Amino acid sequence: MKAVKGKRLFGGVHIRDEKHLVCENATEVPPEPSEVYISMQQSAGKPAVPCVGKGQKVKEGQLIATADGAISSNVFASVAGEIKDITQMMSPSGTEDTVIVITSDGSGDKQYLTPLDDPSAQEITKRIEEAGIVGMGGAGFPAAVKDSPKSKVDTLILNGAECEPYLACDHRLMVEHTEEIVRGARYLKKALGVTDIIIGIEKNKPDCIAAFEKYDDVKVVSLARRYPMGSEKHIIYSCTGRKVKAGQLPADVGVIVHNVGTVYAVCQAIELGKPLYEREITISGRAVKQPKNLWVKVGTSVKELVEFCGGEAENPKKVIDGGPMTGVAMANYESYITKMTGGVLMMTAKEADCLSPTPCLNCGKCADVCPMHLMPMQTAFYSSAGDFDAAAKLGGTMYCIECGACEYVCPAKRPLIQAIRKTKAAVRAKKN
Amino acid sequence: MDNTIVISTPPHVKSRRTTRGIMLDVIIALLPATVAGIVFFGWQAAVLIITSVLTAVIAEFVYYFIYNGGFKSKCANAKAVCANWLKQFDYTSIVTGLILALIVPSTAHWYEILIGSALAIIIVKMLFGGTGKNLVNPAAAGRVIMFLSFSLTTYVAANFDPISLDSELFTGATNLSGWLLGGEGASGHMEWIDLFLGTGLAGCIGETCKLALIIGYLYLVIRKVIKWWQPVLYVALSAFLSVCMAATVEGATFDISLFVDYALSGGLMFGAIFMATDYVTSPKGIYGQIVYYVALAVLTSLLRFYTKIEVVSFVIMIMNLIVPLIDTYIVRRPFGYVKPKKAEKEGK
Repeated sequence: MKAVKGKRLFGGVHIRDEKHLVCENATEVPPEPSEVYISMQQSAGKPAVPCVGKGQKVKEGQLIATADGAISSNVFASVAGEIKDITQMMSPSGTEDTVIVITSDGSGDKQYLTPLDDPSAQEITKRIEEAGIVGMGGAGFPAAVKDSPKSKVDTLILNGAECEPYLACDHRLMVEHTEEIVRGARYLKKALGVTDIIIGIEKNKPDCIAAFEKYDDVKVVSLARRYPMGSEKHIIYSCTGRKVKAGQLPADVGVIVHNVGTVYAVCQAIELGKPLYEREITISGRAVKQPKNLWVKVGTSVKELVEFCGGEAENPKKVIDGGPMTGVAMANYESYITKMTGGVLMMTAKEADCLSPTPCLNCGKCADVCPMHLMPMQTAFYSSAGDFDAAAKLGGTMYCIECGACEYVCPAKRPLIQAIRKTKAAVRAKKN
Repeated sequence: MDNTIVISTPPHVKSRRTTRGIMLDVIIALLPATVAGIVFFGWQAAVLIITSVLTAVIAEFVYYFIYNGGFKSKCANAKAVCANWLKQFDYTSIVTGLILALIVPSTAHWYEILIGSALAIIIVKMLFGGTGKNLVNPAAAGRVIMFLSFSLTTYVAANFDPISLDSELFTGATNLSGWLLGGEGASGHMEWIDLFLGTGLAGCIGETCKLALIIGYLYLVIRKVIKWWQPVLYVALSAFLSVCMAATVEGATFDISLFVDYALSGGLMFGAIFMATDYVTSPKGIYGQIVYYVALAVLTSLLRFYTKIEVVSFVIMIMNLIVPLIDTYIVRRPFGYVKPKKAEKEGK
């Protein structure tokens, strides 16, 4: 269907997105890694429990760890080979995770689930759970939980906004696998019993918009180029005009939002029976020689991928797991890809200007750009004085989605997100 | 890989805007008014501007130097303190000094503006904690200090004819006072073009040439330093209310053509563009800002009507003091807001 304009969003910030570094590069598949390190923390919630032993032979796509509870996901072997070790390792975010190490035997033997032909709604939901599909936007919330909503939903929104600067993995997926994404969305439509499929795409990706306009059952919404357009609450508002209130889930207003990557994974899981052990990532930043979009296996070493991209162009000042606005800064790039990794960015000192903060001017720019209509400067002011109640009350901190728009725009370079997280933690600690 | 990798909370990219950049924009926006002031009022104006700016910067430096122990143990750290000062210097004192020079008449003496500028920086700004912490706009306060200490209103600006007094109500041939008092103006309407360009008009150094001010305003709006509606709201509402009030005087009729005279007279436009919009002393949220500008406009027209003296800097000072209250009580409603009580009930 012809693209329509999204509803105007108040707040938000126009970011120099640097997507041109990588968005024209077609997806490449790096050589199969000789060893993969698969973390058990592959979703939000509890880590999975390993169900294989040391020394066991596994095939590509074989279940190696089962979900522990509802908010968790199954984990699969991403190469065929032998389990070398099950060990503890430090993750980039600083927590200790169980990691299964598999050495590849190079055979590439696959063991998939049985493909489904014309599945029923229950079969689809069950398959999404079995295939360990999580939200690929970065939060890693298990898709199966999302797809069994308690209230009636009527709209499925595909999130193709990709408002994070630098990243272009969703962009490439949308261009290269349009057909599969639409088919995946149709399966989800059936499973959820919704009437509409809407795909929200930011205006800076005209090729994606054109690609989806060909399908009659998909409503394309071209979103304004404003960060954070891809935030769940804001894409729902922009596409449907519905407001998700605090404490509500999107399903409460009759909407389910899925990242396009997740929908692609759903399509593969149903048509090929392929569980989720591969994903599209972007390796970018000016400190890497050839920024690339890669189709990688979970557990691949980031270092190998960086070498595949030509290695360092210069010493990186910051290495980021995810996008530059919400991603986690890492101490090095000796980590491993998980289902949630959307990209690895190597930024030079010039790009990630690490300036020291100057006094707040009260300019109010943070409040102007806040998509949640909060007052970050009040939070920062009161939390630095230790008055967290006033900080939360006057700043509206508990509504914050931590998108980082305020800190991006701050001319004084104040560490606002840090103050907001501190306040949130203090208020939560007080409540309990 | 070396070990200089930085770890911090997101976001990892930031806009190129800095405090210094914004202050530089303000200085650039003030330049047309400065040039116009020097052209109209001659070398006295230039001397005042230079004195004011230099005093402001030196006062800030001296305060910083003493406060950070520059004189301790026989000036052992003097060099380091100077270097630190240069590093943190964000041009705010230049802005203060420049604005202060532009809102005094060219007949002020150099020592008067020296005192005004130094007091504005030291008492109003630095004693409260420096950049971003002052409660009152330093330039407005400096102007008020000079106004009260040296009774600037009685000074006659000598350069131009017909010029009588500094106050906007006595500015040349605008005859605002005549209308306000209900009598017939001595020389009728002043030509709007003269009011606009500031030719043949008495007034403060930077306030007379409205064209220069509007160029500055456009620059600030284009650079997104201020929001376009802020000065417009202030000037338009205040001029409109003045027109209404002038009509209440016996014998006067409601004359909307006075609107232009009120809007272009005195320090209103300068105050609205450069002083009321000062980040530090204006409310943080958009609703608070609307309240602030409306209150400014009401107070300005009221005080203009009853006191008949230059009031803009007084009004800005008064409203600056109310800003913390506005910020505390006018809180924005978050997107998808739920009333706290209701949320608690739902939780139970």
